[in-house]
Amino acid sequence: MIKVEIINKPITPFISDDNRKQIGAELVFNGRVRNTEHGKKIIALEYEQYEGMAEVELKNIAVKTCDKFPIRDLLCRHRIGIINVGEISLHVLICAKHRKEALEAMNWFISELKKLVPIWKWAIMTDNTRIPSECEH
Amino acid sequence: MIKVTIKCFSQVKYALNQNELVLELKKGFRSSDLEKTIRIKAKGQLDNISLRIAINQQYITKNTELKDGDEVAFIPPVQGG
Repeated sequence: MIKVEIINKPITPFISDDNRKQIGAELVFNGRVRNTEHGKKIIALEYEQYEGMAEVELKNIAVKTCDKFPIRDLLCRHRIGIINVGEISLHVLICAKHRKEALEAMNWFISELKKLVPIWKWAIMTDNTRIPSECEH
Repeated sequence: MIKVTIKCFSQVKYALNQNELVLELKKGFRSSDLEKTIRIKAKGQLDNISLRIAINQQYITKNTELKDGDEVAFIPPVQGG
């Protein structure tokens, strides 16, 4: 199963299912907002998207990930809007028969997301000024 | 003449101080011509920034002739995650 969503509210995690007998590895990734941007304190990041294209690109990458790696499920929620320090901006759940392919798929999926999905961050500084984030990690 | 809409994000929005602009262009205008126009409008603020181009919400890899009604985005390095 593939499911991707871009949402403008706090992320609720996908529910883990104990009844899936063929899944040996269930991998969860949560990306969170750090409190610094190039050494300067920030209070939040504001994520903006290219509405429409961002979700299509995210779905394309999810499909490619499932073609490339023998995984069963890839579920992804990406939050946009203002996200305070410490909160989750990206939540990904990958299920596979074995750990190795789940880990490789997770790494590849997030790397591609960071190269292609038209989403950007603005850093909100402690004085409330707002500047484009330079972080590309 | 043709009319195209340019969607602005991140550094492009910051440099042009606009979310969107509509330009009337000569017929035959290409994506690379429009990129030069946008960089000139940005007055140097986009000089060191690589821009990927999307037309009608799809990345393009070749210099493409623009058509009337196209939606164009000059996409600075993305930062999802």
